[in-house]
Amino acid sequence: MIRRIKKVAVLGSGVMGSGIACHFANIGTEVLLIDIVPNELSDKEKSQGLSLSDKQVKNRIVNDSLSAALKSKPSPIYKQEFAKRITTGNFDDDLHKIEDYDWIIEVVIERLDIKKVIFEKVDQLRKHGSLVTTNTSGISVESMIEGRSDNFKKNFCGTHFFNPPRYLQLFEIIPTSSTKDDVITFLEKYSSLFLGKTPVIAKDTPAFIANRIGTFSIMELFNNVQNFGLTIPEIDKLTGPVIGRAKSATFRTADIVGLDTLVHVANNIKETTNDEANELFTIPDYLKIMLDKKWLGSKTKQGFFKKVVEDGKKKFLSIDFNTLEYVEAPRPKFSVFEKTKTIDNLRERMPILLADKGRAGDFYRASFYALFQFASNRIPEISNDIYKVDDAMNAGFGWKLGPFQAWDSVGVDTTVKAMEEVGKKPASWVYEMLELGISSFYKVENGLLYCYNISTKSYEVIPGYDGRISLEVLRQDNILWENNDLTIFNLGDGIINAEFHTKMNTIGAGILEGLNKAVDMAEADFKALVISNEGDHFSAGANVGMIYMLAIEQEWEELDLAVQWFQKTMMRMRYSAIPVIAAPHGMALGGGCELCMHSDKVIAHAETYMGLVEFGVGLIPGGGGTKEFAVRLSDELGNGDIRTNAFLNRYLSIGQAKVSTSAYEAFDLGYMRKGIDEVVVSRAYHLAYAKKVALQLSEKGYTQPPSRNDIKILGKEVMGMVYVGADGFTTGNYMSEHDKLIAEKLGLVMAGGDISQALTEVSEQYLLNLERKAFMELCTTRLTLERIQSLITKGKILRN
Amino acid sequence: MNAYIVGGYRSAIGKAPRGSFRFTRPDDISASVIKHLLNDFPQIETKKIDDVVVGNAFPEAESGFNMGRLISLMSMDNIEVPGSTVNRYCASGLETIAIASAKITAGLADIIIAGGAETMSMINMGGWRMVPNPDVAKEHPKWFLSMGLTSEMVSKEYGITRKEQDEFAVNSVNKALAAIDTGVFKEEIVPFTIKENYYDNGKLQTREKVFDTDEGPRKGTTVEGLARLKPAFAADGLSTAGNSSQMSDGAAFVLVVSEKILKQYSLTPIARLLDYQVAGVEPYKMGIGPVAAIPKVLNHSGLNLSDIDLIELNEAFASQSIAVINELGINPEIVNVNGGAIALGHPLGATGAKLSVQILNELKRTSGKYGMVTMCIGTGQGAAGIFEMI
Repeated sequence: MIRRIKKVAVLGSGVMGSGIACHFANIGTEVLLIDIVPNELSDKEKSQGLSLSDKQVKNRIVNDSLSAALKSKPSPIYKQEFAKRITTGNFDDDLHKIEDYDWIIEVVIERLDIKKVIFEKVDQLRKHGSLVTTNTSGISVESMIEGRSDNFKKNFCGTHFFNPPRYLQLFEIIPTSSTKDDVITFLEKYSSLFLGKTPVIAKDTPAFIANRIGTFSIMELFNNVQNFGLTIPEIDKLTGPVIGRAKSATFRTADIVGLDTLVHVANNIKETTNDEANELFTIPDYLKIMLDKKWLGSKTKQGFFKKVVEDGKKKFLSIDFNTLEYVEAPRPKFSVFEKTKTIDNLRERMPILLADKGRAGDFYRASFYALFQFASNRIPEISNDIYKVDDAMNAGFGWKLGPFQAWDSVGVDTTVKAMEEVGKKPASWVYEMLELGISSFYKVENGLLYCYNISTKSYEVIPGYDGRISLEVLRQDNILWENNDLTIFNLGDGIINAEFHTKMNTIGAGILEGLNKAVDMAEADFKALVISNEGDHFSAGANVGMIYMLAIEQEWEELDLAVQWFQKTMMRMRYSAIPVIAAPHGMALGGGCELCMHSDKVIAHAETYMGLVEFGVGLIPGGGGTKEFAVRLSDELGNGDIRTNAFLNRYLSIGQAKVSTSAYEAFDLGYMRKGIDEVVVSRAYHLAYAKKVALQLSEKGYTQPPSRNDIKILGKEVMGMVYVGADGFTTGNYMSEHDKLIAEKLGLVMAGGDISQALTEVSEQYLLNLERKAFMELCTTRLTLERIQSLITKGKILRN
Repeated sequence: MNAYIVGGYRSAIGKAPRGSFRFTRPDDISASVIKHLLNDFPQIETKKIDDVVVGNAFPEAESGFNMGRLISLMSMDNIEVPGSTVNRYCASGLETIAIASAKITAGLADIIIAGGAETMSMINMGGWRMVPNPDVAKEHPKWFLSMGLTSEMVSKEYGITRKEQDEFAVNSVNKALAAIDTGVFKEEIVPFTIKENYYDNGKLQTREKVFDTDEGPRKGTTVEGLARLKPAFAADGLSTAGNSSQMSDGAAFVLVVSEKILKQYSLTPIARLLDYQVAGVEPYKMGIGPVAAIPKVLNHSGLNLSDIDLIELNEAFASQSIAVINELGINPEIVNVNGGAIALGHPLGATGAKLSVQILNELKRTSGKYGMVTMCIGTGQGAAGIFEMI
């Protein structure tokens, strides 16, 4: 029988418990979140005359945790109203309810005795066959099943979410010796398809995979940091995005996580392991002093960094390891970055960084060699499979390259020799692999991704890719056309994909050319077009640099043509002989949002941040976005609706540059269409699903829609409100005089010009012309150009 | 003038949009107040009443359909008494008393019920469909400036500080709480039995409660507490939810009769509206409206400010109240002795009548002779009326 998850009980409502509850609510599950009953009344409860037996008091701990979670940022929930799917309760009154729950997740305090007491109760109350899992990050999972029933044991394992559960991809599955195979298979598929996570099966070893490797990496650095003579900002610069890791890099991340938490995890690993790196998990003296002084990071307002305000200016000071005082370190500068600046591909950047002869190179070699050695020695201890370690680091720590992926990028063969020279010899299986003539851990062949397996001593296809599509894997054999900015892939079954690969995937001439080409190709020889990519973001918008250059040089005619081209390309997405599916993820802003709005259907990843944000650069959406809002308003209007209010809702989405914090919010802001556009939670299956939908639209018979002349505009009826509103926001100092000008122009385009009769029907092209005219007029203003310049040169939104 | 006020009542004032009257319609509240008022005058045959004049600032939706006429039908068991709805925004409820008095004085009528009703829970400031004339709005956007922003303009132009405003607000709340505690308003409030149907536990349920006490004033309001509130209308503004009038629901009505009726039914007059004037000011600082209206009414009536025993100055905002008091040199001791709109609420079109009912009772209690009701009005006007106790 197919296992179905309708109801999930989460036991323990701390940061992780509440976050896990929210994420199940995100995907539509009914959730029961419970926690302990408080021992005593709070002052507030006393003043309200409540007693310990009142429901309100008994549920206080769980209710407080959940509401704190719901208020936290970034939000654990796709949309606040989804939180209604969570019911709260307490262990005394509500634990019995788990009898009809499909999955019970334990997230209580990390104490084996307490967990065992809870599992004993759960064992008595749960229904036969329901899943029971623990979210422990440090306690042996095997030790928890002692004394449990057979059925409990078969359906029990560890499921380790990472904080915050909504955002971090990793989901470690830790089976015990008794866990049934079908439970593991189910969890792998379910966590990926339903929860949008990357499942990694881990052995029941201390800290499992990601925390073991990740903590090693941090502790190795903490213990050796003084050898390099590098400052904290320097190390963060070296260990940040340049090597494919988070911007918060090492020390800033440590501050965010909290030094006490890090030390707790490190101590735990030190006590429970006995490997060659055990000494590195010792807490260095300076860190002990910092702990004593409560310099724990963000939670105590100072850690490795401290923010101070001097003369009204914010300054970030950092610890000097020699004096343990906060100092203002100079801006980090490394000559090797001059060489890597222009290299977007991380795998190409890595060998240059490691070969550097300067301080950066010394640092990189030492820390990566240590990492390679440690990781190789952990196979097969923590995992039989190499790729699982990389998967775990990609998904749990946000490392774009896990240890073996990074090693591949710098060349395994040559590195091994260098590692030997500095006494960091890797595990013997690495030599074994090289001797077999296999010189990389991974390879792609015939659209399949292979990884070296140390027990069979050969490449094996990485499982779990069935039903998924990865452009990275298809890249070798399935490219139909490409220019510098865009690649057209053949996804098979008559579906092609247009992939952007510019910086932040901004849309410029190359992408416009590519999009037109893709529609031409699809119309000629294929069934449908999907627009998706595997960058960090779908698209940050139009490339404003091009607009700026033309405007500065006063090439008005050319600028007008460029804007027209953008508009025409968007209209080509809407009006072609084939279905066009946009599959955005991450940021889909400005032009990226306009592109989505002109597709036949949007299949958005749940983590899509969509918005028409042109106001920030002193413009209105000029690629058909403003027009499209007028079109959608027209289509939404029902007889007798209060039209001015409907107009205002749409107007404010653009006027306040509102960006959705999830794809679900994009419906409310008017960027996605209810009943047409869809959301998928799984990034892994995202493109495969988009392709299926494209095929479906094609196969049910797709006819190019006729161009529209029936858009009902409101004209003068709303213009009074626009003028009054814009003036009010300006008078209230919520916006500048220039914003007021933009707001008025936006209103005029969305109103369809100041036509006397409301509900006059106009054509799309008429609206596009109005939109382009307003856009061009704004481009001629100095203040708009200053805003664009600020974005280009400083990456900052200027308010002028 | 020979038109006399012989009685007046009001409802308790509910907080909008989530207070006691949140689901109660303005016509229902009005009918209950008028029925209660007429109970005091069993000798008057209701068919003899010439008109019901109802003030309302947003006469649409629940306040639409010429609510005044419907209120007359709902309040009396006959169809003969007509009804009208009058709008002078926040002065509407005083305007109707002036209309009644003037008609009677002119011999056009003998008995008129005048007052006002507003339920801001149901109809927002600005109403449901905001459609200013686009040409005028473009040329003169400040004519349509939101009330909160006009308050900021007044703060700026008259140099009223945040602290002064917060102190004024706390003072208003304390006076109102004291008045409620000592039962000052008890006699003038008509208790209203609120019936609500609601959904709970999969079923339709009903509940009832008697609403008879103003619910606006917040106990424990302090200057320090108010200082923590964020600006409500402008990024760098001084007006907050704490030092601005509350949005409210309520109604108030008085009975105005001619000398002839007074004698015919041997009625005891309470007061007469001695004078009433309205004046225009710059719309962007509408809050100083009374600065124009008060001298105008004093001048016209021949009285001096020093003759006035009590003033009800509608507290649209602490900023404009302070500015008016300072500009005209009004003795703050005689202003809003039982608290003002910041504490008790401001049901726009009902406010003029509500303040009239309050001041007549307070003059009676303190044996005063002249009382003034004055307020600022949106789009730049001020109104001031002087009551003379008989």
